[in-house]
Amino acid sequence: MAYILQQLLSKSAKAYPEKPAVWARGRSITYRELDEGSNQLAHLLRQRGVQKGDRVGLFFPKCVESIISMLGVLKAGGVYVPLDPQAPADRVGYIIGNCGIQILITSAEGRAALTPETLSTLECCVLTEGEGNGSDLVAWSQLSEFPATYAPAVALVETDLAYILYTSGSTGRPKGVMLTHQNALTFVEWCADEFQVRSEDRLSNHAPLHFDLSVFDVYNTLEAGATVYLITEDLALFPTSLANFIETQGITIWYSVPSALILLLLHGRMTPDKLKSLRIILFAGEVFPMKYLRQLAEISTTSELYNLYGPTETNVCTYYKVERERLAALEHLPIGIACANTECFSVTPEGRLAEKGEAGELYVRGPSVTYGYWADPEKTKKMVVPNHFQENFEEKMYRTGDMVTVGDDGNYYFQGRRDSMIKSRGYRIELGEIENALLSHPGVREAAVLAVPDEIIGNRIRAVVSLHLAGSLGVQELQQYCASRVPKYMIPEMIDLYNELPKTSTGKIDRVKLATESVAVR
Amino acid sequence: MIEQAEVKDRIREYVLEEFAKAKGIMQITDQEVLTKNGIIDSMGIFRLVSFLEETFNVRIGDEEITHDNLESVDAIERLVIAKSKK
Repeated sequence: MAYILQQLLSKSAKAYPEKPAVWARGRSITYRELDEGSNQLAHLLRQRGVQKGDRVGLFFPKCVESIISMLGVLKAGGVYVPLDPQAPADRVGYIIGNCGIQILITSAEGRAALTPETLSTLECCVLTEGEGNGSDLVAWSQLSEFPATYAPAVALVETDLAYILYTSGSTGRPKGVMLTHQNALTFVEWCADEFQVRSEDRLSNHAPLHFDLSVFDVYNTLEAGATVYLITEDLALFPTSLANFIETQGITIWYSVPSALILLLLHGRMTPDKLKSLRIILFAGEVFPMKYLRQLAEISTTSELYNLYGPTETNVCTYYKVERERLAALEHLPIGIACANTECFSVTPEGRLAEKGEAGELYVRGPSVTYGYWADPEKTKKMVVPNHFQENFEEKMYRTGDMVTVGDDGNYYFQGRRDSMIKSRGYRIELGEIENALLSHPGVREAAVLAVPDEIIGNRIRAVVSLHLAGSLGVQELQQYCASRVPKYMIPEMIDLYNELPKTSTGKIDRVKLATESVAVR
Repeated sequence: MIEQAEVKDRIREYVLEEFAKAKGIMQITDQEVLTKNGIIDSMGIFRLVSFLEETFNVRIGDEEITHDNLESVDAIERLVIAKSKK
């Protein structure tokens, strides 16, 4: 049994050395190449000073080198931090500083996008393409100078960190969720068992690598000795190309946010024939509207459908296997029951366990739960709390912030959020982070950011802003300013300029009033 | 009927005003790959297609909404010209 993630690769590299492990942009590498490349990268990183527990950033568009890099960092004993290749320099710089990344694996283009201040904090960049300079720029071709057949000797245990995923933070800065080998493997082992992933399987990877959906795609592929197909932007945005891709590559397991599946349904020219290779379709990250789920079930006749639920802090913690015979009558899709080796319970505002039908906040305990947020003990204390239902020993549990009820069928049903976090295309977005970005502009007096429900992508983002000096800023200028502070998916699509924001009797911004006012949706 | 030379200007202006500027990108070249740096996202693709259909009076089928046809201002122009000649 594997207790650290890289053992999944070692096992499959022995069993299937010449089998393709990773495919991306028309290129694939075998298990042997992945194993040897990651060994070499690990030696290179150690030579460059990476020690156990050191964070190494990955900042480049998805390609086969992404997977080599993840495994290479782990084999060096490091902790990888996938960075959104489309994030603004300010945000990437913040993350690099926040978790103390000194070595960055990037492309020449990615490196050029960083600010001089960020560059000055880095000791060296390993470039996935292009040439090195013999000092702080290392070319990928230098990997060949390092041993390929064995990894550096590093003593690791399952409770060591494996990776950090940054998600939106309400105080205006992203927060780094720390995940251990054990956290990841708890989930991977449950998936391997539930979905019976086999070496003949072809898994798609639709989610970006800084998004925790990708953990299944990558590590369950390695666990089974299967092949993962990384879906890049030239495919992801074009539904008919994506539908053809599923058919021609014979994808057997698909995992994505519902909005990606909805676009496929609406514009992919899909037929049951095109999807006949699929045996499992998994979705997570946002609520799947029943109307579209019924359409998916109808067109995808060969596959089992699963609704997976869970925040990055626990990965998937509950699941619901769609019962086709119930679909016609089902009004809301359940998030299901707890995964193996995970316990969930819902707690009322008074702190007792919720009864059947009663709303409560979902709490999670078990080996999948994160230690908390990197360098943020305050935030960690709020979310990863002592299990007061257990008095005999100290134990932590995670409060998801999601309100749920238990239905008559024994399944959990998602009811909404306790706070102002929303989902758009499956991305977690703290509206407060966007408000803080707007308020940091010297010309902005007040800002409120609201979610406008959208059938396909979940939510669109609308901001209402008042200025110190009316007419001093335009909508586009404000969007551009946001673009320098938050990722593209968090930039308000609509911005309304008000002379003054409406207030409640207590003087707070009246969000209810703002939300009910007519919205000019494009 | 819009002049051929005007087609590219209209496309470039639309992409710049509607997508690029809102994402903090102030200028684009005609060869720039619009999907690579996130200028256009999955919903944007369909707004772009509606714009092309209305502005240039062409019909673009789902199967024509591909990376090759829409990856840059140059590619979009080629698509529009080819469709208008039919």
